[in-house]
Amino acid sequence: METDPLFAGGKGERHLLLGNEAIVRGAIEAGVQVVTCYPGTPSSEVPDTFARLRRCGRFSLEYSVNEKVAFEVAAGAALGGAASLVTMKHVGLNVAADPMFTAAYIGTPGGLVVLTADDPGCHSSQNEQDNRNYARAAGLPCLEPASALEAKEMTRAAFLLSRRLQQPVMLRTTTRVSHMRGVVDFDDIPSATTSVPFNREPGRFVPVPAVALRRHKALVQNMEKARDAFEESPFIQERIPQGKSPKLGVIASGVARNYLADALVAGDIEDSVRILELGATWPLPEKRIRSFLASCDRVLVLEEGDPILERDVRALCQREGLPVSVEGKDEGVTVFGEYSTSLVLRRLAAFLNVPCPVEAPRPPIPDLPGRPPNLCPGCSHRAVYLAARRVFGDEPVYSSDIGCYTLGLLPPLRTADFLVCMGSSITAGCGFAKASNRPVVAFIGDSTFFHSGMTGLANAVFNRHNIILVILDNGTTAMTGHQPNPGMDQNMLGDAAVHLDIEAVVKGLGVTQLRKVKAYNLKAVTEALEAFKNAEGVRVLIATEPCVLYARRTLKKRQAAMAVVAKQGAEADACLKELACPAFCRDGENLAVDATLCSGCMVCLQAAPTAFKTQAL
Amino acid sequence: MQQSKQQRQRIYFTGVGGQGTLTATDLLAQAAIIAGIDAVAGEVHGMAQRGGVVESFLLLGGWRSPRLDHGEADVLLGFEPLETLRGLPYLRSGGIVFSSSDPLPPLAVSLGQVPYPTTQAVEDAAKKVAGQIRFIPCRTLGLEAGALPSGNTVLLAAACAAHAFPFEVDALEAAIKTRLPQKLQASNLKALELGKAFAAS
Repeated sequence: METDPLFAGGKGERHLLLGNEAIVRGAIEAGVQVVTCYPGTPSSEVPDTFARLRRCGRFSLEYSVNEKVAFEVAAGAALGGAASLVTMKHVGLNVAADPMFTAAYIGTPGGLVVLTADDPGCHSSQNEQDNRNYARAAGLPCLEPASALEAKEMTRAAFLLSRRLQQPVMLRTTTRVSHMRGVVDFDDIPSATTSVPFNREPGRFVPVPAVALRRHKALVQNMEKARDAFEESPFIQERIPQGKSPKLGVIASGVARNYLADALVAGDIEDSVRILELGATWPLPEKRIRSFLASCDRVLVLEEGDPILERDVRALCQREGLPVSVEGKDEGVTVFGEYSTSLVLRRLAAFLNVPCPVEAPRPPIPDLPGRPPNLCPGCSHRAVYLAARRVFGDEPVYSSDIGCYTLGLLPPLRTADFLVCMGSSITAGCGFAKASNRPVVAFIGDSTFFHSGMTGLANAVFNRHNIILVILDNGTTAMTGHQPNPGMDQNMLGDAAVHLDIEAVVKGLGVTQLRKVKAYNLKAVTEALEAFKNAEGVRVLIATEPCVLYARRTLKKRQAAMAVVAKQGAEADACLKELACPAFCRDGENLAVDATLCSGCMVCLQAAPTAFKTQAL
Repeated sequence: MQQSKQQRQRIYFTGVGGQGTLTATDLLAQAAIIAGIDAVAGEVHGMAQRGGVVESFLLLGGWRSPRLDHGEADVLLGFEPLETLRGLPYLRSGGIVFSSSDPLPPLAVSLGQVPYPTTQAVEDAAKKVAGQIRFIPCRTLGLEAGALPSGNTVLLAAACAAHAFPFEVDALEAAIKTRLPQKLQASNLKALELGKAFAAS
């Protein structure tokens, strides 16, 4: 840590950083004091980088159990006077929406920056929601970096603005910005940050109706101050081609600014348009936009996601009576997925009415073997899913949840029939069972259980629901990169956090039909599920086994043996089709186990005892 | 820093989750920066890495975008031949391909559902698009260098030595020495030599 340039690096240094690492550097340059988070792609490297640096003693960091909790802890810290940061992925802000709306009313004196990392293209998410909508709905000034350097600069600016206005400020990235690498110029780190003293002021901080009505007006006034700041912001940039005065304009925000800049160069059309890049996007810097529009006959708005800026610009033109034709989303640049240089160049060529220099895309090569994401070789979820398939087959409906284990949807395991959001395996499963009278088997991971499974389980017991719940306890938050959660082993948590026992929590929530088994023990998992099969009520199986990657990388567990094929034939082939472990491969006609992939879980030996045998390493 | 358009280059990386594709991207980005060339790299983390295809992008010389679309890549670096084939639409006509020739068959192939494309099919498809193609037995040479993942460095070094990038192989060597942990240096520096030798062969 002491030599990590993210903390040790001084003014004038340049480093190649991930966008998320640049956010950390920006927060440190702003003197961040309290960081809370719930990990989620593409935001996770922000808290994980803070975790790497935590021994510097300049800030406190916690992995909270969910985003609502994380937001509230950070908001409380900001009320207590600390410069605070809360980080999450886009859907996490839905969970944290309740505190966000009211925190914007009462204000956050120490400063509160809310990082939301959106995921257009659904690289690792269940939807493409555009959280710029939340900035508008809740009243948070919003900054949207497009490069690693801007990620640092805007994070620092967000802290300064938040403390000045005493309002929470949104920093919104998208996957490509969070996960891009670029050169970042460092500035100084302050020697210390002063906290803002808390003065009891219930007429401000306790939003009973009369207070809330007053604070709503204060919020609107503060947003006008933010607008004034953004009118002068270096994150609004206008570019007019030298010696030219084109009447065609392009307004771009977010990562679309990059594709625009590159498309202008690639198409050699830089002289044809004037450009307005918005990095500070809400409240709208209306004067800047109005003066830009005054020089345009036609303007094209480029933004990934919802046509939010486009609607704002249309509304501005209508209100101001500006005779500007506004264009935006069409069949090419849509609300779906991500933009690209070629996509933007095609749209620009149409806008400018010039021939498109982009070569027509070649079609993908057909019929290639697919390579979808898969549960790892030795993943304990595969063992549990195999047992569930053997015990229940297609009879029940499988209610899944958010984590690696969602990948159970793939054949041959097929153990995910529906999914709504974090924690919904239990609650939506209960509702499904009630409506359909079909048995429901739900799967939830340990981190997701603590995130929002506990309340659902309490409800299931309270309302006499009928469900089999399997808690897939791999001892870590696996999907996002092995972050701590309350179920993690105390030795791994160290002094920073306290282990909570899932079994005790489940019992405490009133569950009486409860079993706990080792996930790799196929017989034990099978027997437990058999016992639950014909019972009624809320039945919970806790299947424990450390995530295989976590066991190898962090717990430093050494593999003692691997599986090898003992006997070719029907049983071996059946196991390949039923278990589909990625370590299985073909050696000519024969089945084999890839020694570089086998983790030694020995589930195949239990599934097909005569086909496989163990071989010491 | 504004670079002239001539020095601009866009590189597409593809491989299989766990192979070290992202480390290779970082290494090449560092090499470019050591050589004084502006670099932007784009990666995807999370679910995409669970044994699936891993793509990344490196844009040199002043590009701002962190991702590439089909037809935009000047160079395709494939760490697995099937993924090279799948990634070919990213390559512009006349671009450069450096690819591993050592297959990692996906599960669908092991299950007998689909055949793995023949080496000839991969090479033929690449020839239709690319102006320069090199296939390298990266796993084999990686093992020879002392560690499977250093096979990626063999590929990078061979491409550097064949002047595929706007910098030379010494920048890659410097990046290995400054960026990789001490315990990985020996195998990667050996891999660098193997790559240079392969390019010269």
